Amino acid sequence: MTTLSTAVAPAKAGAPIDPVFRQIRDLVYKVCGIFQLDEKLYLMADACERRMKHLNVRTPREYWELLTADASREAELRQLLNEVTIGETCLFRSQPQLDALRKVILPELVLEKSKQIVKRLRIWSAGCSTGEEPYTLAMNLMEESNGMLKGWTIEIQATDLNDRSVETAKAGIYGDYALRSTPELFKRKYFTQLDERRLEVKPEVKKLIAFSRLNLQDDSRMLFMKGMDLIFCCNVLIYFDGPSKAKVINHYYSNLNFGGYFFLGTSESLLNLNEKFRLVHFPGTIAYWKPSLKSGKL
Amino acid sequence: MTSSIAATIRKRVGAIESMPSIPTIFLPLLELLNLPPDKVKLDEVVKLVSYDNTIAAQCLRVASSPLFGLAKGPESIRGAVLTLGLRKVESILLTCCLGNAFPAKNWALDPTVFWKHSLGCAMVCRSFSEKLGADDPDKAYMAGLLHDLGFVVNCIAFPKEFAAVVASATVEQCSFGDAEMTTMGFTHCETGRALAEKWHLAPDLVQVIAHHHDPEKSESAHALVALVHLSDLLCRMRGMGYGYYEKRKVDLMGDPAWDTLLKTHADLNNIDLARFSFEMDDAVAEVATLVSTIFGGAKAAAG
Repeated sequence: MTTLSTAVAPAKAGAPIDPVFRQIRDLVYKVCGIFQLDEKLYLMADACERRMKHLNVRTPREYWELLTADASREAELRQLLNEVTIGETCLFRSQPQLDALRKVILPELVLEKSKQIVKRLRIWSAGCSTGEEPYTLAMNLMEESNGMLKGWTIEIQATDLNDRSVETAKAGIYGDYALRSTPELFKRKYFTQLDERRLEVKPEVKKLIAFSRLNLQDDSRMLFMKGMDLIFCCNVLIYFDGPSKAKVINHYYSNLNFGGYFFLGTSESLLNLNEKFRLVHFPGTIAYWKPSLKSGKL
Repeated sequence: MTSSIAATIRKRVGAIESMPSIPTIFLPLLELLNLPPDKVKLDEVVKLVSYDNTIAAQCLRVASSPLFGLAKGPESIRGAVLTLGLRKVESILLTCCLGNAFPAKNWALDPTVFWKHSLGCAMVCRSFSEKLGADDPDKAYMAGLLHDLGFVVNCIAFPKEFAAVVASATVEQCSFGDAEMTTMGFTHCETGRALAEKWHLAPDLVQVIAHHHDPEKSESAHALVALVHLSDLLCRMRGMGYGYYEKRKVDLMGDPAWDTLLKTHADLNNIDLARFSFEMDDAVAEVATLVSTIFGGAKAAAG
């Protein structure tokens, strides 16, 4: 899981931006589904300028031509995406998603599944990188373990393509930067102090999560991920080409239970690649819903 | 609604109508907006605005906002009409009039929050309407701006009762409409309708004010009411709501209003709803700036 780069100093925030960068923003959205707000357009401009410097391209217009020319567009777009996103994330990255989960989705799922004999919630963090997302989810669900989720079993599958990321995730050790958005209460409750600079996730949190390596393009493995109530896949699909992306999304759809939800990154869209998923809104965030059987409009 | 509630609403709304603060040009402007565009003369609008310098100046400041798509702001009302078109200038003028109309002292609702939602909804309605290729995006703008007029009525005519509504909705994280029904037994849709009818607003606008929470009950203007209903929900989900967490899921495509709108606007299913939502985030800051330009006085009075 990567996050939109906000680490670059906003040196150009507010300065006039060449309209070509807006065109590039629209191209990136059209191809990858990730949207950069006007007010954050300077980050896109910075990323382009780093690529332009590397390629010895002088003007944004020339760079646009490279991005749209048949011979170079695919490779260059991938390079640009690497610049736009950074391979680092943090715990508690999207509070609106967590609020939606705890305040709206959980009560709905619990009510819908309460008649089932086995009270179990299954969640998949797909492209979990170094574990920040699944641990965040686990801790938030544990907060409900004496309330809404009393007597429920929580299973979180966390997968990533990269072996080293999976190993790092299993260790559950994080420094200040990864913990910058984590509320103090959660730090005290769910971590132990490892040394002066790092905290380690407590075993009771770790035991809710099964980490493993998984290639999202491996169809046979994808078939074994059935019965999910929630799938999180943030800023991973942006790197896939159209047909591969559509295929993975179809897997996600069939892996979700009816009434389940699929979350992308906060400024990421499915680009209408799957018409069965329904886009729904929660305060400050969107998600894709696999309508429940009783919701009528399927 | 029982007849005694209706009588109470009518009585208290009657007192609002005689409020001296409503700018003299407000109601004549509304009348102009109700006419077909080819019947409105530029000179009439310019003459009308010349009666109120404050509003003319505010209008020019608002017309300079990036949200109205001008690189350089116009220098006169006449210039604004020539560059933006008569309909758009009328809607800006009405926005400014509305901002000056109501003394926002001791409102149960933070007036800044109220105007941000109303103006945000107006912008979203217009943009939504443009994306659908609808006939009159400026009418959609006015409908969005006025849809929650009933909250203003509540603040002025039912101050104590409405204060309890605001407190309860904030704690319960439910909609104002639900809290109004529980606490008062009627909603801003009814009080808004009473004032809209007193003011002889266009029938379409009355329908929007009365039915934006239950579009299927609208007696006419079904598409406009549906559009405002969906835009209102979008605003509340994208940072232009009533300033508290509203605990709900919004399924626009599953909403009956979606199907209503689809009947007359086949392009609805081609809208990239995700991108539309992301773009709204860009509008939030600009709407806040506009609110302080237009309604700054209201904010100061509230303090």
